[in-house]
Amino acid sequence: MPDSLPHPDLVAALPRLRRYARVLTGDLNRADDLVQDTLARAWEKRRLWQPGSDLRAWLFTIMHNVHVNQFAVRRREQSESSLDADDGPVAGWEIPVRAVQSDRVELAEVFAQMGRLPVEQREVLILAAVEELRYEEIARVQCVPIGTVMSRLNRAREKLRRMCEVSPSPLKVIK
Amino acid sequence: MSSNLPLSDDDVHAYADGKLPEERRAGFKAALERDPALAARIAAIRKQNADLRDAFDPWLAEPLPRELIAAAKPARDRKPARGRWAIPALASAATLIIGIGLGWMGRGEVLRLDGTPTTFPREAALTHALYATDPNRPVEIWANEEDRLVRWLSKRLNFPLHAPNLHAMGYDLVGGRLVAGNARPAAQFMYENADKQRISLLVRKDDEHTAESAFRYALEDGIGVFYWIDDACGYALSGRVDKAQLLAIARVVYGELAAAEAAAPKL
Repeated sequence: MPDSLPHPDLVAALPRLRRYARVLTGDLNRADDLVQDTLARAWEKRRLWQPGSDLRAWLFTIMHNVHVNQFAVRRREQSESSLDADDGPVAGWEIPVRAVQSDRVELAEVFAQMGRLPVEQREVLILAAVEELRYEEIARVQCVPIGTVMSRLNRAREKLRRMCEVSPSPLKVIK
Repeated sequence: MSSNLPLSDDDVHAYADGKLPEERRAGFKAALERDPALAARIAAIRKQNADLRDAFDPWLAEPLPRELIAAAKPARDRKPARGRWAIPALASAATLIIGIGLGWMGRGEVLRLDGTPTTFPREAALTHALYATDPNRPVEIWANEEDRLVRWLSKRLNFPLHAPNLHAMGYDLVGGRLVAGNARPAAQFMYENADKQRISLLVRKDDEHTAESAFRYALEDGIGVFYWIDDACGYALSGRVDKAQLLAIARVVYGELAAAEAAAPKL
Protein backbone atom coordinates (compact mmCIF):
# COMPACT_ATOMS: atom_id res chain seq x y z
CA MET A 1 0.00 0.00 0.00
CA PRO A 2 1.33 3.44 -0.85
CA ASP A 3 2.40 5.90 1.74
CA SER A 4 1.56 8.80 -0.48
CA LEU A 5 -0.98 10.13 -2.93
CA PRO A 6 0.08 11.38 -6.37
CA HIS A 7 0.22 15.08 -5.68
CA PRO A 8 -0.09 16.32 -9.29
CA ASP A 9 -3.21 14.15 -9.75
CA LEU A 10 -4.58 15.52 -6.51
CA VAL A 11 -4.08 19.11 -7.67
CA ALA A 12 -5.57 18.24 -11.04
CA ALA A 13 -8.66 16.85 -9.28
CA LEU A 14 -9.16 19.99 -7.16
CA PRO A 15 -11.48 21.88 -9.53
CA ARG A 16 -13.78 18.84 -9.79
CA LEU A 17 -13.72 18.31 -6.05
CA ARG A 18 -14.59 21.93 -5.56
CA ARG A 19 -17.47 21.70 -8.01
CA TYR A 20 -18.82 18.60 -6.28
CA ALA A 21 -18.51 20.37 -2.93
CA ARG A 22 -20.50 23.31 -4.25
CA VAL A 23 -23.21 21.01 -5.50
CA LEU A 24 -23.33 19.25 -2.13
CA THR A 25 -23.34 22.32 0.08
CA GLY A 26 -24.97 24.88 -2.19
CA ASP A 27 -22.67 27.45 -0.65
CA LEU A 28 -19.37 28.73 -2.04
CA ASN A 29 -17.64 29.23 1.30
CA ARG A 30 -18.80 26.03 2.89
CA ALA A 31 -17.77 24.24 -0.29
CA ASP A 32 -14.15 25.30 0.12
CA ASP A 33 -14.20 24.20 3.76
CA LEU A 34 -15.53 20.85 2.63
CA VAL A 35 -12.74 20.49 0.06
CA GLN A 36 -10.16 21.20 2.76
CA ASP A 37 -11.71 18.69 5.16
CA THR A 38 -11.84 16.13 2.37
CA LEU A 39 -8.17 16.60 1.49
CA ALA A 40 -7.16 16.27 5.13
CA ARG A 41 -9.17 13.05 5.37
CA ALA A 42 -7.69 11.76 2.11
CA TRP A 43 -4.16 12.22 3.43
CA GLU A 44 -5.10 10.44 6.66
CA LYS A 45 -6.53 7.54 4.69
CA ARG A 46 -3.92 7.54 1.94
CA ARG A 47 -3.05 3.89 2.54
CA LEU A 48 -6.54 2.89 1.48
CA TRP A 49 -6.14 4.31 -2.00
CA GLN A 50 -5.28 1.75 -4.66
CA PRO A 51 -2.64 3.13 -7.02
CA GLY A 52 -3.90 3.02 -10.57
CA SER A 53 -7.54 3.34 -9.57
CA ASP A 54 -9.60 6.46 -10.23
CA LEU A 55 -8.36 8.99 -7.66
CA ARG A 56 -11.24 11.33 -8.47
CA ALA A 57 -13.92 8.73 -7.62
CA TRP A 58 -12.08 7.87 -4.40
CA LEU A 59 -11.98 11.54 -3.41
CA PHE A 60 -15.68 11.95 -4.21
CA THR A 61 -16.42 9.04 -1.89
CA ILE A 62 -14.49 10.66 0.93
CA MET A 63 -16.16 13.99 0.29
CA HIS A 64 -19.60 12.42 0.31
CA ASN A 65 -18.92 10.82 3.69
CA VAL A 66 -17.42 13.95 5.21
CA HIS A 67 -20.42 15.94 4.04
CA VAL A 68 -22.98 13.41 5.29
CA ASN A 69 -21.35 13.42 8.73
CA GLN A 70 -21.18 17.19 8.91
CA PHE A 71 -24.74 17.45 7.69
CA ALA A 72 -25.96 15.01 10.34
CA VAL A 73 -24.27 17.06 13.03
CA ARG A 74 -25.79 20.28 11.77
CA ARG A 75 -29.21 18.72 11.55
CA ARG A 76 -29.01 17.55 15.11
CA GLU A 77 -28.09 21.08 16.08
CA GLN A 78 -31.06 22.58 14.34
CA SER A 79 -33.83 21.52 16.71
CA GLU A 80 -36.27 20.16 14.19
CA SER A 81 -36.71 20.14 10.48
CA SER A 82 -39.34 18.29 8.52
CA LEU A 83 -37.53 16.25 5.96
CA ASP A 84 -39.25 13.61 3.94
CA ALA A 85 -37.48 11.44 1.46
CA ASP A 86 -38.18 13.35 -1.68
CA ASP A 87 -38.38 17.01 -0.82
CA GLY A 88 -35.58 16.23 1.51
CA PRO A 89 -32.48 17.97 2.67
CA VAL A 90 -32.44 20.86 0.26
CA ALA A 91 -29.68 22.65 2.05
CA GLY A 92 -30.46 25.85 0.23
CA TRP A 93 -28.71 26.99 -2.89
CA GLU A 94 -26.93 30.13 -1.96
CA ILE A 95 -24.81 30.30 -5.05
CA PRO A 96 -25.68 33.32 -7.18
CA VAL A 97 -26.74 32.55 -10.71
CA ARG A 98 -23.96 34.74 -12.07
CA ALA A 99 -21.57 32.08 -10.78
CA VAL A 100 -22.67 30.10 -13.82
CA GLN A 101 -20.78 32.47 -16.10
CA SER A 102 -23.12 31.94 -18.97
CA ASP A 103 -25.30 34.11 -21.13
CA ARG A 104 -27.69 31.31 -21.94
CA VAL A 105 -30.87 31.78 -19.97
CA GLU A 106 -31.83 28.11 -20.08
CA LEU A 107 -28.54 27.22 -18.41
CA ALA A 108 -29.22 29.67 -15.61
CA GLU A 109 -32.59 27.95 -15.28
CA VAL A 110 -31.01 24.48 -15.10
CA PHE A 111 -28.57 25.81 -12.53
CA ALA A 112 -31.27 27.39 -10.37
CA GLN A 113 -33.54 24.35 -10.49
CA MET A 114 -30.68 22.03 -9.56
CA GLY A 115 -30.62 23.90 -6.28
CA ARG A 116 -34.18 22.82 -5.60
CA LEU A 117 -33.45 19.12 -5.91
CA PRO A 118 -32.73 17.05 -2.81
CA VAL A 119 -29.00 16.82 -2.29
CA GLU A 120 -28.72 13.11 -3.10
CA GLN A 121 -30.43 13.71 -6.44
CA ARG A 122 -28.17 16.64 -7.24
CA GLU A 123 -25.23 14.41 -6.45
CA VAL A 124 -26.39 11.63 -8.75
CA LEU A 125 -26.95 14.06 -11.60
CA ILE A 126 -23.56 15.69 -11.27
CA LEU A 127 -21.76 12.37 -10.96
CA ALA A 128 -23.65 10.66 -13.81
CA ALA A 129 -24.26 13.46 -16.29
CA VAL A 130 -21.36 15.83 -15.68
CA GLU A 131 -18.55 13.70 -14.25
CA GLU A 132 -19.71 10.67 -16.24
CA LEU A 133 -18.85 8.22 -13.51
CA ARG A 134 -20.01 4.62 -13.93
CA TYR A 135 -23.20 3.81 -12.04
CA GLU A 136 -21.30 1.32 -9.86
CA GLU A 137 -18.86 4.07 -8.90
CA ILE A 138 -21.73 6.37 -7.99
CA ALA A 139 -23.19 3.61 -5.81
CA ARG A 140 -19.82 3.37 -4.05
CA VAL A 141 -19.61 7.16 -3.60
CA GLN A 142 -23.09 7.35 -2.07
CA CYS A 143 -22.71 4.04 -0.29
CA VAL A 144 -26.05 2.72 -1.56
CA PRO A 145 -27.10 -0.21 -3.79
CA ILE A 146 -26.96 0.47 -7.50
CA GLY A 147 -30.77 0.16 -7.69
CA THR A 148 -31.02 3.20 -5.42
CA VAL A 149 -28.69 5.14 -7.71
CA MET A 150 -30.86 4.30 -10.70
CA SER A 151 -34.11 5.31 -9.03
CA ARG A 152 -32.53 8.55 -7.78
CA LEU A 153 -31.25 9.25 -11.27
CA ASN A 154 -34.68 8.59 -12.73
CA ARG A 155 -36.41 10.86 -10.27
CA ALA A 156 -33.80 13.59 -10.52
CA ARG A 157 -33.94 13.75 -14.31
CA GLU A 158 -37.70 13.72 -14.40
CA LYS A 159 -38.02 16.37 -11.72
CA LEU A 160 -35.40 18.66 -13.24
CA ARG A 161 -37.00 18.34 -16.66
CA ARG A 162 -40.43 19.20 -15.28
CA MET A 163 -39.18 22.12 -13.24
CA CYS A 164 -37.34 23.60 -16.20
CA GLU A 165 -40.37 23.18 -18.42
CA VAL A 166 -43.04 24.48 -16.10
CA SER A 167 -43.25 28.14 -15.13
CA PRO A 168 -40.42 29.93 -16.82
CA SER A 169 -39.20 31.70 -13.72
CA PRO A 170 -38.57 35.45 -13.77
CA LEU A 171 -34.92 34.61 -13.57
CA LYS A 172 -32.46 36.94 -15.19
CA VAL A 173 -28.88 36.25 -15.94
CA ILE A 174 -26.77 38.69 -14.03
CA LYS A 175 -23.61 39.58 -15.84
CA MET B 1 -42.13 2.79 -24.75
CA SER B 2 -42.07 -0.25 -26.95
CA SER B 3 -44.60 -2.84 -25.89
CA ASN B 4 -42.86 -5.95 -27.17
CA LEU B 5 -39.50 -5.38 -25.54
CA PRO B 6 -38.83 -5.34 -21.85
CA LEU B 7 -37.00 -2.03 -21.65
CA SER B 8 -36.50 -0.84 -18.12
CA ASP B 9 -35.94 2.72 -16.98
CA ASP B 10 -32.43 1.63 -16.08
CA ASP B 11 -31.78 0.67 -19.69
CA VAL B 12 -33.07 4.01 -20.90
CA HIS B 13 -30.69 5.92 -18.64
CA ALA B 14 -27.78 3.66 -19.43
CA TYR B 15 -28.37 4.03 -23.15
CA ALA B 16 -28.71 7.81 -22.96
CA ASP B 17 -25.51 7.99 -20.89
CA GLY B 18 -23.64 5.73 -23.30
CA LYS B 19 -23.28 3.11 -20.57
CA LEU B 20 -25.43 0.30 -21.95
CA PRO B 21 -23.30 -2.81 -22.54
CA GLU B 22 -22.32 -3.29 -26.15
CA GLU B 23 -24.33 -6.49 -26.61
CA ARG B 24 -27.61 -4.81 -25.61
CA ARG B 25 -27.11 -1.67 -27.66
CA ALA B 26 -28.21 -3.06 -31.03
CA GLY B 27 -31.51 -4.31 -29.63
CA PHE B 28 -32.10 -0.97 -27.99
CA LYS B 29 -31.44 0.89 -31.22
CA ALA B 30 -34.02 -1.23 -33.02
CA ALA B 31 -36.56 -0.39 -30.33
CA LEU B 32 -35.72 3.29 -30.70
CA GLU B 33 -36.54 3.27 -34.38
CA ARG B 34 -39.97 1.80 -33.72
CA ASP B 35 -40.78 4.06 -30.81
CA PRO B 36 -40.63 7.83 -31.33
CA ALA B 37 -41.63 8.50 -27.72
CA LEU B 38 -38.65 6.52 -26.50
CA ALA B 39 -36.38 8.33 -28.93
CA ALA B 40 -37.68 11.67 -27.63
CA ARG B 41 -37.02 10.58 -24.07
CA ILE B 42 -33.44 9.66 -24.89
CA ALA B 43 -32.95 12.97 -26.69
CA ALA B 44 -34.34 14.88 -23.69
CA ILE B 45 -31.95 13.14 -21.29
CA ARG B 46 -28.99 13.87 -23.55
CA LYS B 47 -30.02 17.51 -23.89
CA GLN B 48 -30.29 17.76 -20.13
CA ASN B 49 -26.84 16.20 -19.71
CA ALA B 50 -25.36 18.72 -22.15
CA ASP B 51 -27.09 21.61 -20.37
CA LEU B 52 -25.80 20.44 -17.00
CA ARG B 53 -22.27 20.24 -18.33
CA ASP B 54 -22.56 23.69 -19.92
CA ALA B 55 -23.95 25.10 -16.69
CA PHE B 56 -21.41 23.55 -14.33
CA ASP B 57 -18.23 23.26 -16.41
CA PRO B 58 -17.28 26.96 -16.22
CA TRP B 59 -16.52 26.42 -12.53
CA LEU B 60 -13.60 24.25 -13.54
CA ALA B 61 -11.85 27.23 -15.13
CA GLU B 62 -11.85 29.30 -11.94
CA PRO B 63 -8.50 29.87 -10.28
CA LEU B 64 -8.20 28.00 -7.00
CA PRO B 65 -7.62 29.73 -3.67
CA ARG B 66 -4.20 29.08 -2.20
CA GLU B 67 -5.68 27.38 0.86
CA LEU B 68 -6.99 24.57 -1.30
CA ILE B 69 -3.73 24.13 -3.15
CA ALA B 70 -1.91 24.07 0.17
CA ALA B 71 -4.33 21.48 1.54
CA ALA B 72 -3.53 19.17 -1.38
CA LYS B 73 0.04 18.86 -0.14
CA PRO B 74 0.91 16.15 2.35
CA ALA B 75 0.72 17.53 5.88
CA ARG B 76 4.47 17.25 6.49
CA ASP B 77 5.19 19.40 3.42
CA ARG B 78 2.86 22.18 4.43
CA LYS B 79 4.99 25.14 5.33
CA PRO B 80 4.52 28.84 5.07
CA ALA B 81 5.24 29.99 1.55
CA ARG B 82 8.04 32.30 2.72
CA GLY B 83 11.54 31.67 3.84
CA ARG B 84 12.87 29.12 1.38
CA TRP B 85 15.69 30.76 -0.42
CA ALA B 86 17.97 27.76 -0.30
CA ILE B 87 17.04 26.41 -3.72
CA PRO B 88 19.97 24.43 -5.06
CA ALA B 89 21.77 25.86 -8.03
CA LEU B 90 21.12 23.86 -11.15
CA ALA B 91 24.05 24.99 -13.21
CA SER B 92 27.76 24.87 -12.78
CA ALA B 93 29.95 27.87 -13.43
CA ALA B 94 31.33 26.16 -16.53
CA THR B 95 28.01 25.84 -18.35
CA LEU B 96 27.25 29.39 -17.35
CA ILE B 97 30.29 30.74 -19.17
CA ILE B 98 29.76 28.62 -22.29
CA GLY B 99 26.16 29.76 -22.45
CA ILE B 100 26.82 33.45 -22.75
CA GLY B 101 27.50 33.39 -26.47
CA LEU B 102 24.34 31.45 -27.27
CA GLY B 103 22.33 33.77 -25.12
CA TRP B 104 23.30 36.76 -27.16
CA MET B 105 22.33 35.08 -30.42
CA GLY B 106 18.90 34.48 -28.98
CA ARG B 107 18.55 38.06 -27.89
CA GLY B 108 18.63 39.36 -31.47
CA GLU B 109 15.81 37.09 -32.40
CA VAL B 110 13.45 38.17 -29.65
CA LEU B 111 13.85 41.77 -30.66
CA ARG B 112 12.88 40.93 -34.22
CA LEU B 113 9.89 38.90 -33.06
CA ASP B 114 8.83 41.69 -30.81
CA GLY B 115 8.53 44.04 -33.74
CA THR B 116 5.40 42.26 -34.93
CA PRO B 117 2.22 43.12 -33.02
CA THR B 118 1.02 40.03 -31.26
CA THR B 119 -1.10 38.77 -28.40
CA PHE B 120 0.07 38.17 -24.86
CA PRO B 121 -0.08 34.35 -25.08
CA ARG B 122 1.77 34.46 -28.40
CA GLU B 123 4.41 36.71 -26.90
CA ALA B 124 4.74 34.25 -24.01
CA ALA B 125 5.02 31.24 -26.31
CA LEU B 126 7.64 32.91 -28.52
CA THR B 127 9.69 33.97 -25.53
CA HIS B 128 9.41 30.48 -24.11
CA ALA B 129 10.44 28.85 -27.40
CA LEU B 130 13.42 31.11 -27.67
CA TYR B 131 14.92 30.56 -24.23
CA ALA B 132 13.62 27.18 -23.05
CA THR B 133 15.37 25.41 -25.92
CA ASP B 134 18.68 26.94 -24.98
CA PRO B 135 20.50 24.22 -23.09
CA ASN B 136 23.17 26.45 -21.62
CA ARG B 137 21.83 29.93 -21.19
CA PRO B 138 18.07 29.74 -20.68
CA VAL B 139 18.20 32.47 -18.06
CA GLU B 140 20.07 35.62 -17.27
CA ILE B 141 20.33 35.10 -13.53
CA TRP B 142 20.33 31.59 -12.10
CA ALA B 143 18.25 30.23 -9.27
CA ASN B 144 21.19 30.18 -6.87
CA GLU B 145 20.78 33.95 -6.85
CA GLU B 146 17.00 33.92 -6.67
CA ASP B 147 16.94 36.74 -4.17
CA ARG B 148 18.95 39.00 -6.43
CA LEU B 149 16.98 37.93 -9.51
CA VAL B 150 13.66 38.79 -7.92
CA ARG B 151 14.91 42.12 -6.59
CA TRP B 152 16.33 43.11 -9.95
CA LEU B 153 13.22 42.15 -11.93
CA SER B 154 10.97 43.85 -9.39
CA LYS B 155 12.99 47.01 -9.84
CA ARG B 156 12.92 46.87 -13.64
CA LEU B 157 9.20 46.13 -13.80
CA ASN B 158 8.48 48.51 -10.97
CA PHE B 159 6.34 46.22 -8.88
CA PRO B 160 7.11 43.45 -6.36
CA LEU B 161 7.59 40.12 -8.11
CA HIS B 162 7.74 36.63 -6.70
CA ALA B 163 9.04 33.42 -8.24
CA PRO B 164 6.44 30.78 -7.34
CA ASN B 165 7.67 27.54 -5.82
CA LEU B 166 6.61 24.68 -8.12
CA HIS B 167 8.59 21.97 -6.40
CA ALA B 168 5.42 20.12 -5.45
CA MET B 169 4.60 19.81 -9.16
CA GLY B 170 8.05 18.45 -9.92
CA TYR B 171 9.51 21.68 -11.29
CA ASP B 172 12.37 23.69 -9.85
CA LEU B 173 13.38 27.22 -10.67
CA VAL B 174 16.22 27.51 -13.18
CA GLY B 175 16.34 31.29 -13.03
CA GLY B 176 14.91 34.23 -14.88
CA ARG B 177 15.48 37.13 -17.18
CA LEU B 178 14.12 40.46 -18.27
CA VAL B 179 12.51 40.35 -21.72
CA ALA B 180 11.35 43.08 -24.05
CA GLY B 181 7.60 42.59 -24.15
CA ASN B 182 5.24 43.98 -26.76
CA ALA B 183 4.51 47.17 -24.95
CA ARG B 184 6.76 47.12 -21.91
CA PRO B 185 9.38 44.94 -20.25
CA ALA B 186 8.32 41.61 -18.84
CA ALA B 187 9.92 39.11 -16.49
CA GLN B 188 10.39 35.47 -17.37
CA PHE B 189 10.92 32.74 -14.78
CA MET B 190 12.13 29.41 -16.14
CA TYR B 191 11.52 26.05 -14.45
CA GLU B 192 12.71 22.55 -15.21
CA ASN B 193 11.68 19.07 -14.08
CA ALA B 194 13.73 15.90 -13.66
CA ASP B 195 13.19 15.05 -17.36
CA LYS B 196 14.67 18.42 -18.38
CA GLN B 197 11.24 19.53 -19.50
CA ARG B 198 11.02 23.30 -19.19
CA ILE B 199 8.12 25.60 -18.53
CA SER B 200 8.21 29.34 -18.11
CA LEU B 201 6.14 32.02 -16.47
CA LEU B 202 5.94 35.42 -18.13
CA VAL B 203 4.82 38.30 -15.93
CA ARG B 204 4.08 41.85 -16.93
CA LYS B 205 2.42 44.85 -15.39
CA ASP B 206 -0.82 45.77 -17.11
CA ASP B 207 -2.75 49.00 -16.96
CA GLU B 208 -4.40 49.67 -13.64
CA HIS B 209 -8.08 48.72 -13.78
CA THR B 210 -7.47 45.87 -16.19
CA ALA B 211 -10.23 43.42 -15.34
CA GLU B 212 -9.23 40.17 -13.70
CA SER B 213 -9.82 37.11 -15.79
CA ALA B 214 -10.19 33.37 -15.43
CA PHE B 215 -7.57 31.05 -16.87
CA ARG B 216 -7.55 31.03 -20.63
CA TYR B 217 -5.72 28.62 -22.88
CA ALA B 218 -3.97 29.09 -26.20
CA LEU B 219 -1.89 26.71 -28.25
CA GLU B 220 0.87 28.51 -30.13
CA ASP B 221 3.04 26.43 -32.46
CA GLY B 222 2.79 23.39 -30.23
CA ILE B 223 3.39 25.35 -27.04
CA GLY B 224 0.53 25.40 -24.57
CA VAL B 225 -0.09 28.68 -22.75
CA PHE B 226 -2.38 29.33 -19.80
CA TYR B 227 -2.74 33.02 -19.17
CA TRP B 228 -4.71 35.20 -16.81
CA ILE B 229 -4.85 38.67 -15.36
CA ASP B 230 -4.81 39.26 -11.64
CA ASP B 231 -4.34 42.49 -9.76
CA ALA B 232 -3.46 44.41 -12.93
CA CYS B 233 -0.68 41.96 -13.84
CA GLY B 234 -0.68 39.62 -16.77
CA TYR B 235 0.64 36.07 -16.22
CA ALA B 236 1.31 33.43 -18.86
CA LEU B 237 2.56 29.91 -18.16
CA SER B 238 4.01 28.26 -21.26
CA GLY B 239 5.36 24.84 -22.03
CA ARG B 240 5.22 21.82 -24.28
CA VAL B 241 3.17 20.09 -21.63
CA ASP B 242 -0.16 18.32 -21.74
CA LYS B 243 -3.00 20.80 -21.27
CA ALA B 244 -4.41 19.26 -18.08
CA GLN B 245 -0.97 19.10 -16.51
CA LEU B 246 -0.20 22.68 -17.50
CA LEU B 247 -3.52 23.82 -16.01
CA ALA B 248 -2.72 22.02 -12.75
CA ILE B 249 0.63 23.82 -12.61
CA ALA B 250 -1.04 27.14 -13.48
CA ARG B 251 -3.35 26.71 -10.49
CA VAL B 252 -0.37 26.16 -8.22
CA VAL B 253 1.30 29.26 -9.66
CA TYR B 254 -1.84 31.24 -8.97
CA GLY B 255 -2.04 29.94 -5.39
CA GLU B 256 1.65 30.58 -4.74
CA LEU B 257 1.39 34.14 -6.02
CA ALA B 258 -1.69 34.80 -3.92
CA ALA B 259 0.16 33.46 -0.87
CA ALA B 260 3.19 35.63 -1.58
CA GLU B 261 1.04 38.69 -2.06
CA ALA B 262 -0.74 38.08 1.22
CA ALA B 263 2.58 37.68 3.04
CA ALA B 264 4.51 40.51 1.38
CA PRO B 265 4.98 43.83 3.07
CA LYS B 266 3.66 46.71 1.01
CA LEU B 267 6.49 48.47 -0.79
